[in-house]
Amino acid sequence: MIGLNHYLVISVLLFSLGLLGVLLRRNLLIVYMSLELMLNAANLALAAFSKYNQQLDGQILVFFIVTVAAAEVAVGLALMVALFRLRQTVRVDELNAMKL
Amino acid sequence: MLCPTRRELSARLSIGAVVAAFWLSFLLWFAADLKQHGATETAFQWFSVDNLVVAFGLRLDRLSELMLLVVTGVAGAIHIYSYSYMAEDRDVPRYFASLSLFTFAMLGIVLANNFVLMFVFWELVGLSSYLLIGFWFERPAAADAGKKAFLANRIGDTGFLLGIILLWSATGSVHFGTIQQLLHEQPKLLGEMSTIIGLLIFCGAVGKSAQFPLHVWLPDAMEGPTPVSALIHAATMVAAGIFMLCRVFFVFLAEPSMPLMLAGLSGISALDVIAAIGMITALLAALMAVQQNDIKRILAYSTLSQLGLMVLAVGCRGPLPAMFHLTTHAFFKALLFLGAGAVIHAMHHEQDIWRMGGLGRKMPVTAAVFLAATLALCGLPPFSGFYSKDAILACVLKQNMVLFLAAVATSVLTAFYMFRLVFVAFAGKPRTSEAGHAHEAPALMLYPMLFLVVPSVLAGFWSVEPYLEPLFSAHAATAVKPWYEQLLAPFDEPLAAFAGLGAAGFGIFAAATLYLGAREDSLPSRWGAFARVLRNRFYIDEIYRVCITLGLDAVAAILDFFDRWILAGVIVRGLHGTVELTGRILRLFQTGNLHTYGFMFGLGVIITLWLALMR
Amino acid sequence: MFFGLSILTIIILLPLLAALVLAFVPRERGVLFHGVALVVTGVVMVLGAGLFWQFQPGAKGLQFEQSWIWVAGLDIRFHLGLDGLNSGLLFMGTLVAFAAACASWEIRERTKEFYILLLVMTGGILGAFAAQDLFFFYVFHELALIPTFLMIGIWGRGERKNYATFQITLYLVVGSLILLVGLLGLYWQAGARTFDLVELAAHLRARPIPVAAQAWIFPLLLFGFGILVSLWPFHTWAPLGYASAPTSTAMLHAGVLKKFGVYGLIRIALPMVPEGARHWLPVIAFLCLGNILYCGLVAVRQKDLNLLIGNSSVAHMGFIFLGIASGSLLGVTGAVVIMVAHGLLAALAFALSGYLHQQLGSLQMDAMSGLLRRVPFLGTVLLLTLMAGCGLPGFPNFIGESLVLFGVWKPFPLVTILAAWGALVIAAVYMLRAIRKILHGPVIEQGLALEDARNPWRKLPFALLLGALLLLGCYPRLLVDQVKPQAAAVLRLPSP
Repeated sequence: MIGLNHYLVISVLLFSLGLLGVLLRRNLLIVYMSLELMLNAANLALAAFSKYNQQLDGQILVFFIVTVAAAEVAVGLALMVALFRLRQTVRVDELNAMKL
Repeated sequence: MLCPTRRELSARLSIGAVVAAFWLSFLLWFAADLKQHGATETAFQWFSVDNLVVAFGLRLDRLSELMLLVVTGVAGAIHIYSYSYMAEDRDVPRYFASLSLFTFAMLGIVLANNFVLMFVFWELVGLSSYLLIGFWFERPAAADAGKKAFLANRIGDTGFLLGIILLWSATGSVHFGTIQQLLHEQPKLLGEMSTIIGLLIFCGAVGKSAQFPLHVWLPDAMEGPTPVSALIHAATMVAAGIFMLCRVFFVFLAEPSMPLMLAGLSGISALDVIAAIGMITALLAALMAVQQNDIKRILAYSTLSQLGLMVLAVGCRGPLPAMFHLTTHAFFKALLFLGAGAVIHAMHHEQDIWRMGGLGRKMPVTAAVFLAATLALCGLPPFSGFYSKDAILACVLKQNMVLFLAAVATSVLTAFYMFRLVFVAFAGKPRTSEAGHAHEAPALMLYPMLFLVVPSVLAGFWSVEPYLEPLFSAHAATAVKPWYEQLLAPFDEPLAAFAGLGAAGFGIFAAATLYLGAREDSLPSRWGAFARVLRNRFYIDEIYRVCITLGLDAVAAILDFFDRWILAGVIVRGLHGTVELTGRILRLFQTGNLHTYGFMFGLGVIITLWLALMR
Repeated sequence: MFFGLSILTIIILLPLLAALVLAFVPRERGVLFHGVALVVTGVVMVLGAGLFWQFQPGAKGLQFEQSWIWVAGLDIRFHLGLDGLNSGLLFMGTLVAFAAACASWEIRERTKEFYILLLVMTGGILGAFAAQDLFFFYVFHELALIPTFLMIGIWGRGERKNYATFQITLYLVVGSLILLVGLLGLYWQAGARTFDLVELAAHLRARPIPVAAQAWIFPLLLFGFGILVSLWPFHTWAPLGYASAPTSTAMLHAGVLKKFGVYGLIRIALPMVPEGARHWLPVIAFLCLGNILYCGLVAVRQKDLNLLIGNSSVAHMGFIFLGIASGSLLGVTGAVVIMVAHGLLAALAFALSGYLHQQLGSLQMDAMSGLLRRVPFLGTVLLLTLMAGCGLPGFPNFIGESLVLFGVWKPFPLVTILAAWGALVIAAVYMLRAIRKILHGPVIEQGLALEDARNPWRKLPFALLLGALLLLGCYPRLLVDQVKPQAAAVLRLPSP
């Protein structure tokens, strides 16, 4: 029987992978994907708790997060495209000034 | 009634319309004056807060009627004269606008029925005088002179305003009639401040009438166009101070007393100080006039000296002689200035009397009217000046012998320097080619002068005293004497009359021996250093300049330095520096690298969690 | 009333809405922004003049009132209304706003942002004066303040622009913060649980704050508001800030927004913490001497026209403080009259100096001479402006200053003497010095590119402001009668 702990462990693993990705990868796109990974890790944990506690709150929150994440992806990718057009790079260590 | 016509004037209509409009208003006033009697007041509320009620009120009584005649009469003559005198100037509209503003403001002073309104017009007169002195503003000297005049007036006005405030706080009113009534009923109403109030109000007159120690602006004011000097700086504006003293004479009649702090001075009343200042001004200015060579400056010092005499008369409890002398002086001094203007015009703006000479033959009419006015100023009968000056002498004689002697000495000096001017400029032979080619003034300049000769000569036949007396004392008016009795009236007081006559005769005699036919001034060689001191006006201007440079400018410089370097520099920059330093330290954390931010964020989360959960 | 909206509400919301709309217009339409700003402020000015004209002096309560519940739980209301204290100020504000929009010809870059900020500032200023709710009173002021910093920083002039921006921002933000603390203190100590000024005042009249609490609330309000109005010795931001600001900003800030501080003292501090005020009034009287004498003397030394006007403006604030310090009906009425008069005057002075700066590129007075001949129209207006600045009768400044001097004699005679000296002599010294240097003197014919305002459009702002000054100066009852009853209410005197 797969219990709550299994879900939580996977969620922690996913979150840690995401965090490492955000901290270590140089490519902005990958960083962005890692960010999504962290969000989904949180989603997983929320859904698991929801199921375990027999309450709907967690799942409702997941819906909100998914919606917000979708909007965020749209805005984020648009920004990234605009940034690439201006600077010809998406490498994080080269993007260290607010000024153009 | 007057404002619309005036506004037409100041509007830039053609000069012809200006003069016509002026004549209309002048005739209107003249007609109205002869018909109206007694004090009438009209007023509407200008503003009122709490117990400060200021009305835009006009008061027409004998005193203001007399001044109206003087102001409009002289102003009328001078407007016409200016038409010709200023014809070649490119700023004629500005000139007439300022001149009309002046006339409006002056009539405002004359007609105002309360202190605040009088102060308002008082300031406006100062403004128009400033504008007109600095009329040729491209000349640095003219611009500086205007500034000096305005500032000297402002210093006096500060005292005047404080006096008004004190008077208001003691009586609760600024209305002349109300205060006069109150003071009549309770002579001790002003309490311990009465002398100080009197002195502060006198400050206003010191500024406007150019009394010592604020007299320095008047000679410089001669930088303005000559008709302006005639109207403002001889006949009317400078007389406003005297008029004001007479108008509010009731304040000086209050029981004199000093606050405890100054108990040592309690014997002195405001009138004593006024008389002393008048005497100093009269004597000093007359002495200074003896060694001036600029024709307008001689007249300016003479104006100062005559104003001093009027103030002296007020100080000796004689507002009536002061007003009488004010009236006659306005006419003959305006005439003198207009004559001087004609001479300057003919000499192509040459003002040094030692470069003139023999003008009597070239410009006979001008010379004749100038001589008439000079005789009036020196106080020879039957010219008007004799009667008014005699009235002052008689009044002073009643009060104090020292002051009387000073006044007589002033008369000697007056006759001396005036005839010095006449002999050097009009008699003898031309000293320069300009003087040789001088020509008579144009008709439009001559007619106003001829018009002014009439009152200059004849004003003495009618004393103003019977008309004005009810305003200053409770006695019934003395009967108006017929003119032939008036003509001999001064000799009722023989000492004053003969002292005045003797003084004038002595002065003329001295001037004749020294200057008739002289080629150059012999006084400097005879008197040496004293003549130099006189010529340099006792170095009063220089002393002031040093004081102002050392005092005001130094204080301003120190404060500016303080403001710039201590307040704005050390304190503000110190704050600025601290904030900036903190900013620079914090800036080390802002690398701009996403990973650093992410790492720090994560670290922060972990520390927070640890703090929240583990402890 | 117009669809349930008071005209007052329309006046305040119109510029803000216009700014919002303009934000969505592409920046290529350059002239449009200036046009919209002109039209909007013009309409606002006409409405403002209408309000001033229709205002009933001495009538009970607020006029042109608008009250909407905003946050019911905290009892914050969008509450606007006119009484005698702010009717004149509002009229002056609308007039200056229009003149400022007219006088902003010098702005050529980033016009879109500039006019949006100008409109926001206008709306904020007018809102701050009309607000009858503590929350909106503060928020509207901040709304107007922030554009000021941006405008000076972006469109400012001179080498010391950044320093000036920094200083003005620091000072005013600190002032606002002190003020916020004071206002919150007032709110909690009052215990009325309402932000509505009318109710708060009524509540405090019935149950005043304990004297001990008043003793610390008043100084917070005094110095908070005081810094905003450049009370000595917190004035150093003002002259430099104005010298660096673009013309319209200097006009709006020095003319109108700065009056918010003194207005707040009269509207809030005096009536709501009267015991604290009684304690601190002598302090104000002596500090304002710093303004009048110290800043006056500093102004005497200035070589730059804008610094001179800035310092003289600080000196004039001293008279407003003096009127407040007198605690008398005369003084407070005079203070409000000076607020209106000085608003018009400062706007006029900065409009003129801005015009000269635009044409000459510098305001060094030594470099100018004889301008009265070169630019007769502007020269005459400048002459009259400077003369009004030294308290010439015929201008409302004279009325206000004399009311203050009459009012302050009884409590502080010595201060009155010094202040009269400052008003009549020191002011005359620096104003005449400016006239002598700029307008008088030999005419410089060559090398001075200068053109008079020929076009009626260019003349309009000057003519409007000067006209308003002369109107109020020659017929002061227009203003004085409106202010008087409300000033009495502030001091809790029986209405005259």
